[in-house]
Amino acid sequence: MKNYRKIFYLFGLVTMLVACNDAIDIDQPGRLDADAAFESVADLQSGLFGVYANYDLSGEIAFSSIFTDELSIGFDNGGQGLADYGFVLNAGSVAPAVFWTGGYAAINSANRLIEAAESITPEAGEEAQYNDILGQSYFLRAWAHWFLMEYFTTDYADDNALGVIALDRVPSIDEQLLRNTNGEVYALILADLDRAESLISTDTSDPTFANRDAVTALRARIAAYRENYTLAATLSQQLLDKYGLANRAQYEAMFLDTDNTEVIFKLERTNNDPYDGQGATGSPAAGGWAGARFAFVDATLAGSPYFEMGRSLFNLYDPADIRYDVNVAPTSLIDPDYTTNNDPATDILVIQKYPGSEGQPLMNDLKVFRSSEMLLIRAEAYADAGSINGATNSAAALLKQLNDARFGTDTALPVFANQTEAFAAILDARRIELSFEGHRYKDLKRLGERANQGVLKDPIDCAFNGACSLPATDFRFTLPLPIVEFNANPGLREQQNPGY
Amino acid sequence: MLTPLLVLCMSFSFAQEKRISGVVTDQTGLPLPGVAVIVEGTTTGTQTDFDGNYTLNARVGQILRYSYLGQKTVTRTVGTANTMNVQMEEDAQALQEVVVQGYRNSTKEKSSIASVTINADESIQNRPNASFVQTLSGQVAGLNITTSTGQPGAASNVNLRGVTSINGNTQPLYIIDGVPVDEDNFRSLNPQDIASVSVLKDAGATAIYGNRGANGVIVIKTRQGNFNQGLQINYTGIMSFSTLQDNDYNLMDSQEQLTLEKLRGAGRGNTLTDAEIAAAPTFDWADYFFDTGLTQNHTLTLQSGSERATQFTSLGYFDQEGILQDSGLKRFSIRNNTTGKSENEKFNYGTNITINYSTSNEPNNIGSGAINRNYILGAYQSVPYITADDYTNGADLLSPLLFSNTPLFLIDRLRTFTRKEEEVKIIGSFQAGYQITDNLSANVTMSADYQNEIETEAEGPTSFNALLFGGAENPTSGYQDQVTVRQFSYNQVTSLNYNNTWGKHTLDAGVYSEYFKAHLRTFGFRENGLDPKTFFPGDGAGFIPTFLDPATGAVLFVDEPFATIRNAGLFSVFSQADYDYDGRYGITGTIRRDASYRFAGSNRYANFYSVAARWNIDNESWMENSIFDVLKLRASYGTSGNQRISGNTYFSAPDLTRNFFATGSGYGNNNSIFLSQIANTTLRWETVTQGNVGIDFELFNNRLRGSVDGYIKETSDLFQSTPVSAINAVTQLDANTGTLTNTGVDLTLNYNILNGGDDGVNLVLNFVGNYNKQELGDLPSEDGELIGTGRNGGKLFEYFTVRYAGVNPANGNLLFLDADGNVTENPDADTDRVWLDKNIYPDFNGSFGFNLDYKGFFLQTQFNYTLGVDRFDNDLAGFQNPDNIGQFRSSRDLLRAWTPDNRITDIPAYDAFNRAAVGSTRFLRNADFLRLRFASIGYNFPSRFLDGTGLTRLRVFGNAENLFTITEWRGFDAEALSNTSRLYPTPKTLSVGFELGF
Repeated sequence: MKNYRKIFYLFGLVTMLVACNDAIDIDQPGRLDADAAFESVADLQSGLFGVYANYDLSGEIAFSSIFTDELSIGFDNGGQGLADYGFVLNAGSVAPAVFWTGGYAAINSANRLIEAAESITPEAGEEAQYNDILGQSYFLRAWAHWFLMEYFTTDYADDNALGVIALDRVPSIDEQLLRNTNGEVYALILADLDRAESLISTDTSDPTFANRDAVTALRARIAAYRENYTLAATLSQQLLDKYGLANRAQYEAMFLDTDNTEVIFKLERTNNDPYDGQGATGSPAAGGWAGARFAFVDATLAGSPYFEMGRSLFNLYDPADIRYDVNVAPTSLIDPDYTTNNDPATDILVIQKYPGSEGQPLMNDLKVFRSSEMLLIRAEAYADAGSINGATNSAAALLKQLNDARFGTDTALPVFANQTEAFAAILDARRIELSFEGHRYKDLKRLGERANQGVLKDPIDCAFNGACSLPATDFRFTLPLPIVEFNANPGLREQQNPGY
Repeated sequence: MLTPLLVLCMSFSFAQEKRISGVVTDQTGLPLPGVAVIVEGTTTGTQTDFDGNYTLNARVGQILRYSYLGQKTVTRTVGTANTMNVQMEEDAQALQEVVVQGYRNSTKEKSSIASVTINADESIQNRPNASFVQTLSGQVAGLNITTSTGQPGAASNVNLRGVTSINGNTQPLYIIDGVPVDEDNFRSLNPQDIASVSVLKDAGATAIYGNRGANGVIVIKTRQGNFNQGLQINYTGIMSFSTLQDNDYNLMDSQEQLTLEKLRGAGRGNTLTDAEIAAAPTFDWADYFFDTGLTQNHTLTLQSGSERATQFTSLGYFDQEGILQDSGLKRFSIRNNTTGKSENEKFNYGTNITINYSTSNEPNNIGSGAINRNYILGAYQSVPYITADDYTNGADLLSPLLFSNTPLFLIDRLRTFTRKEEEVKIIGSFQAGYQITDNLSANVTMSADYQNEIETEAEGPTSFNALLFGGAENPTSGYQDQVTVRQFSYNQVTSLNYNNTWGKHTLDAGVYSEYFKAHLRTFGFRENGLDPKTFFPGDGAGFIPTFLDPATGAVLFVDEPFATIRNAGLFSVFSQADYDYDGRYGITGTIRRDASYRFAGSNRYANFYSVAARWNIDNESWMENSIFDVLKLRASYGTSGNQRISGNTYFSAPDLTRNFFATGSGYGNNNSIFLSQIANTTLRWETVTQGNVGIDFELFNNRLRGSVDGYIKETSDLFQSTPVSAINAVTQLDANTGTLTNTGVDLTLNYNILNGGDDGVNLVLNFVGNYNKQELGDLPSEDGELIGTGRNGGKLFEYFTVRYAGVNPANGNLLFLDADGNVTENPDADTDRVWLDKNIYPDFNGSFGFNLDYKGFFLQTQFNYTLGVDRFDNDLAGFQNPDNIGQFRSSRDLLRAWTPDNRITDIPAYDAFNRAAVGSTRFLRNADFLRLRFASIGYNFPSRFLDGTGLTRLRVFGNAENLFTITEWRGFDAEALSNTSRLYPTPKTLSVGFELGF
């Protein structure tokens, strides 16, 4: 019997003395503590890949195309995107929530990397790489601020209008910040771009990373949006001179990701990266392959297109234009008498801008800045200055230059009766050239009034819901601040954009 | 000295008095403490101790009477044997008497806690459910059990007295034979092995479980053999048939569907002539994807005992086909329970071990809108004019790719997709106790729960899905996942216990330490690329290696391996003392200090306590001649905790107190470093403080029995999502803030209407009910409202949306109410939402029924009811959606749609401009129901019929589960606790079975 007693004492002792700490002091394997995350320039390089991973255009592509007049409901639509397609936009909508949170997530990651870099001194020979990383971080921070401005400020050209929250540091959890003025946000963006230009290496051969030309291109776009056309003209001309325009073969190859002639900066999308997937279909939450914004499977008739090309956009494409070949899938069913037949089943316009690459249907690099956009900015500057007609140094000349490249022939020089016509032509040219790249919504907002244009769908595309047109002056061309932000930051409710 | 005594004895009797001892057990073999053993006609008597042992002096020929409330009184004549073991039989008319109190047992009379014990023979045995949890539904007041899927063996949702946590674990702690087990996984355990289930409800009972006890505790005991018992063999065989429950959606046949399509210019109907429409077949897709499920259940048990050892062995085989094609569960189980004791009876021990193997087919994507993956969607929403004969192979479905081919995609999936979970589950425990002195004992319980689950999922290379997403570039697509999840937990409780009785005082006290450690290991891979020539699900012969396609530059068939290691642990010391005075007053106090690995970086230790007291009013002398046989007042107050504040497992959210970065695929698929977790440095457990007052009563010679309990249960430091500004890269972080209060009443009543005895009619009416009210408080937002969670003073997960107000007779558009109650066609999706005072949790729920028996025939029923549940009927939304016409099936409701000639209707015009404008209450429906949850009819052959057959027991029975439901809910299953559409409904099941004893 004594033995039993000993056994119990032993159990008691073992339990009380040994067991205690091993059960409650547990470090889970595979954890990377914040202070060990960045210890070298190589770590900063890995961090930079993490920061870039926050940048995506698929949400803009989805929102801009669904909300404006680039699409019609596809025959395989299972209810995707109907609210945005019907111009339903409010503080609870998806686009404002994901753009706002996505923009600030990007800024936060850039700020964390910039702060981490401050505590690291590069070894000899690493300075250039260190500076390049830091320079790209500043560029990315500026770009994310600009992205937020594009959607949330009411008036790009008014420095006193409310912008977004400008943030050049990692905030603490309990901070509730209010909107800065446009002037304040622009100051931060431009200062960051100056820093970026001084730090980023001079090599501009890889368009998948932010280089000095990307800095210039962003400055040019900002200047145009701010209607600071003198500066916009200088910057855009500089890039247009350097890159020129792609020929027809290069243009086609560009959308297969095999040619970069006119690509200034693009986001790379490749197998197994964080965006290699379908993403949220029919929603600005997107986050997957660019082409999955329009089709479930691939960019052909059999690829289950849930959105098709809008008839009003299709009608602008000339079959002789290489852009027709790029944007319209050859498997499309085209009904010349669609207006009389009135049958969506006989007129199926399949979007092919993102046919896929690297063997993955629908996955393509996301073009951020192309030289054709620079040409069109330059044309805007001419139009703004009143130089609308003429064979050289005019908006008309530049539009002809673009058409010549795309048709591969000498096209007619347009003639405009007035500035409004010129702006309308530029807006149409942007619609054709930059379709499905996320520009249309912002272009209507800033140029629609000057061009006397708004959203205009072909009647066949909006017969079912009556949402056919939306004037460019509509309040919905500025996104509302999202409810999700008000929950934490109620003071912002007072700064909600008008109309919401 | 001796002589006078001897003479005295002899002068009255020549009979020799001798010492008799034995064990008294109940019919399941559990020792019965507190049984009165009296020598008839004398005042000599004793009571059995906690292990059911008794000793007394009696003479040969005298009669011993064993009596115990709730058991039939047994009499035995003293013979030559010195050991008299008695197995008592339950008196079906009375309540159970052993009260499990966590780490110790008590008698009902001396228990101060709110708890219910269910005897398995009465209501768990022979039910056709793979998991016993589902069987408990409706049996215990305050225990709300909902099963939202018909998948055999799937976990049920169990809430005791309301939900106490928003993000964390809300399921009770389950203890099987002293082993805390994974509460989400009972599919591998054989319910036939269970002897009793005890549900511990108030703080007096749960505080001793510290930060694992917040949601209540369910203690399960399995069957044991008896000492000195001959071998007893029992076989039970049950065969069950499950079918789909009915719906009330009034779905269209092919003619109606095609005509509607023609009208709307959509789908196949648009291309057909009237004659072709009239000739179209109507195919029943629900009947295709759902089928009668056959279940067989065999259990063989052997139990026996010698003087110092007992054993119970059980072998089980269970094979259940789900009503959904490709779903099912097969289980083989074995259990062996032994007990033993030393010669001087100071040392005793017991072992319980069960080894189980189960394999289950579980289709995934249930509930999703994936037309190529969710079979349920195919069953409900497929257009009826497409038939199974239209299917040829996956490749043919690629073009044209039509939504209306949904059922064909799914037929293809049925034939080419495999998803199977194989599981080995072993639960073992060892208990031992040593009586150091008469009053002091030392005890230890060591236990382990091991499960190894292997999941195999494969999408065949010739399947539609593989071809669809693989495409021409990637012709041998398809994938195979194989994932192994191993989980092991070890628990040890060591204790020193003291008990003593002096005069009218009884003291029972113990100090305990508990150690818990759990380990999770998972690993697996996804193989992309399968060669159809050699592919077989689960086998690797068809695997295609990764390669670079030179033509496109594509890297094809990249495989994805993964692995996880997690460890968890808890350590606690606690103490409990119970004092009784004269069987009239009692008080129990508990204190526990707990440490959890989860809070190592913030608040590692937590203290919990409780006090419970009782007054046995019926034992007061002035109650002598009252109508009350039992009248006991109980009260308790105390705290328990929930350390699993986020996620459902021991391993979720293991180190939220730290900032972390992670490495992984970043831009351009380069390895990258990114922020993965923002620290919460004030993290702590959730505390549940509960007050409970209850009365137990029995009246009219125990014919009316019951108990009523009132409780207030407040969770503080609720761990919930707290909004933060998006500038932090996230919009919410979880933090301990806010309160959730559940206030309610539990009521249990049993009434013996007829007491006919063995030869007459016995009829017992049963009622179980719970009313529960929830109230949120101190929510982390400026205005006390959190969309999705609720508002201060309101219900948990209260619905917040725009109110639907019907159809505008003028134009067929939808009408809504704005925030001020004005009718509008253009509500603001944000500002016109209002709180509705409705949620998905019931206000009232419980059951009622009766048990009837007459000379061996028995009939038992249990009706479950639930009131105050509101759910969104999203299936109905689909059937009434005019935009689905041409692709999916519609309800005949759509025929009532608004037209200029039919202006007063509840269905908007097909083209109403605002039909998809805002989320609203349009499809919010009352899901209250009354259901015949269980009915059983059968016959126990009296022993006189069995003479000479070699049988000791023969019983035949038939059961029905979910036989019918009365509800306004139009869907397939009113019970599901979910707003998701296209769910796998629980079935209606009919069973027949028999039980043989040898």
